Amino acid sequence: MILWIVALVLVLAALLLVYLLKGIVDAARTIEHRVEAIAGVAAAGSKDLDAVIELVATQSYIGQVVDGLANYGGSLNAALPDA
Amino acid sequence: MEPAVLVIIVLIALIVGALALYLGMTIRALLKINQGLGVALVSVGEIASKTAPVNGVLDAINATLLAGRNLLEGLFLQKAGPDAAGLVESAFPGEGARFLARVGRRGEVVHIGETYPRGEAILNSLLGAPPPSAAPPAPVARMSALGTRPWER
Repeated sequence: MILWIVALVLVLAALLLVYLLKGIVDAARTIEHRVEAIAGVAAAGSKDLDAVIELVATQSYIGQVVDGLANYGGSLNAALPDA
Repeated sequence: MEPAVLVIIVLIALIVGALALYLGMTIRALLKINQGLGVALVSVGEIASKTAPVNGVLDAINATLLAGRNLLEGLFLQKAGPDAAGLVESAFPGEGARFLARVGRRGEVVHIGETYPRGEAILNSLLGAPPPSAAPPAPVARMSALGTRPWER
């Protein structure tokens, strides 16, 4: 009789174990899909940032424009009377 | 062997089998997660390296623009004098008061309008052109006639 009770407990334990393990596997698979999505977004973001290096050229252009403005200002300073 | 013992042995075997199966599936999923994180980490590293110089470049751009703005504002103040804030206000509505604050002046900002008669007269004299026939008086002249200039109040 005791052995049959042990067997019944084992059956219940097996069912609970399968339920819990299935939950772990499902959660791990969900994470897997999310990580794949994150990797895709990160790759796309990295590709979008390829143009950031152009900022260096922009910096150079802005320097040239400000130099031009300074020269223009110098000419105006010489040409126009003070207030 | 008793049937109950046989059933227990079979049940234990089933439990061990289920454990092995599900743990194997979990390990496989974790390995895939690890692989995916490795791929994501490479892209994140690329993002970090690509954005690293942005702060320095933007700071340099801002410093250059600020120097240019200060230069032109100083020149503007020197040449247009008290009309400078009004001219700035005419070109960039709402900016006249900020201009006054930046150059450390106080007073009311008088909107100059579409034309600036004093500047027009200076340009005409430089170019040798006749002065405009019906030019309205400059705000400076009007305020001078009243005896008080808004920026000196």
